[in-house]
Amino acid sequence: MTKQLGFLHNSEKCVGCQGCEMACKNEYQTDATPRWRQVFQLREEDYSLPTRMFFSMACNHCANPECLRVCPVKAYTKREDGIVVHDHDRCIGCRLCLMACPYDRPQFNLDKKKVEKCNLCYQRIDKGEKPACVAACIPEALQLVEINDALDQKMGVLKTIPGLPGPDITHPAIRFIGPKQGKQIRRD
Amino acid sequence: MGTWEWPLIVFTVLSQISIGIIFGLLCLDRRNQLKEKLFKQGVLVSGILLIIALLASLFHLGHPEAAYRAITHLGSSWLSREILFFILAFAGWLYLLWLSFHPTGKRQSSLLITSVLGLLGIISSAMIYVLPRVPAWNNVAPVFFFILTAGLLGALALVILGGQELQSEQKKSLLNWSLGCIIVSIFMFVLYTSIIKLNVQGAATVQFLLSSPLFWLRAVLGWLAPLILLLTGLKSQKVFTANTLYLVFALVGIGEILGRALFYVSSVGIHISALF
Repeated sequence: MTKQLGFLHNSEKCVGCQGCEMACKNEYQTDATPRWRQVFQLREEDYSLPTRMFFSMACNHCANPECLRVCPVKAYTKREDGIVVHDHDRCIGCRLCLMACPYDRPQFNLDKKKVEKCNLCYQRIDKGEKPACVAACIPEALQLVEINDALDQKMGVLKTIPGLPGPDITHPAIRFIGPKQGKQIRRD
Repeated sequence: MGTWEWPLIVFTVLSQISIGIIFGLLCLDRRNQLKEKLFKQGVLVSGILLIIALLASLFHLGHPEAAYRAITHLGSSWLSREILFFILAFAGWLYLLWLSFHPTGKRQSSLLITSVLGLLGIISSAMIYVLPRVPAWNNVAPVFFFILTAGLLGALALVILGGQELQSEQKKSLLNWSLGCIIVSIFMFVLYTSIIKLNVQGAATVQFLLSSPLFWLRAVLGWLAPLILLLTGLKSQKVFTANTLYLVFALVGIGEILGRALFYVSSVGIHISALF
């Protein structure tokens, strides 16, 4: 693997519109239940000050993907650019990847009785286009980036945010820019 | 919280009894105490259990017709390794079946090979659940518990199958072994819960178990009642009646099935704690 593509999510810009989710569904015409991409709202108790904060998460194309390790049919492969691709045709629906992923991103399709997930629109990337979710994000809160040391050393770039599983398990290819917290003004 | 995985409960418990019986036959054969009739009965019952177990495992899959592909990732998937070892153990069992009708001198080595393959299958079964995502499983406990089920129910099944074929001393040593397995199982469970409750997800698993009526039913039926029956029976030196043996087997069997069900249901994985 020569590089690792991933997502950079800016929670300061994200308004929780779920446009990324819709773009993903439109692109692949997925069934209603499986949500390859999902917008979450952080719980207030997870943050030091009351704030409405969203983050959008699909498969994190982890550096150490547990789904790939446990899959008995080699349905998962990792490309040279770090994208973890799930081969829907090979899947036998054992759901072991669901048990193994801390982010619950492989989703079981009850009608097709198979697992499916985000493949980071690799066919679009191969054509030089942005992934559907990134292209659809109006406030540009979601970006496709290369995960490397230079990115991690930038001011304000976080490897995780409150409410997420620790990144040590799978080393997810996602980074965050947390919201700037406003001043809390009290009338004493 | 996990789900009721009935196909996996049936598969794991029955396959472990099956391998436990084969291992018990091996132990008897090594002491030159294995009669031909018991060998035949043991092999037959063990095979029937293994076939039911393997068929039950298919019902867990979304696409059972493609189950043959599950053997293609031996490099890192314990599920692939589990399937491989159980298929090999089944091949070993087929040879044992042939031997039970055509006795030759290779019985002991065949029992040994089948037992080892089965044991590797059981260890692989347990290793599937050793996942960093699930702290309650991410330790050696699944391996211990799965092997204990095989040792406990395998020995009890053999005592019942043995009937007249087993001398009272042999029955006694098998029942002593079962008693030991129950005591180790209780001790292991206490140790296991005290270790896993040190982290949030493990503590949630322990809390779920201790507040579940099913767990207490499992503790009474699978541990306490057989423990009392076996202790009093072995202490009084009386011969266990067939009905008592059936009762002990049924109690332990129900206990192990409930325990396995709770193993799946009580699992709490590390997850995103946000609103959606």
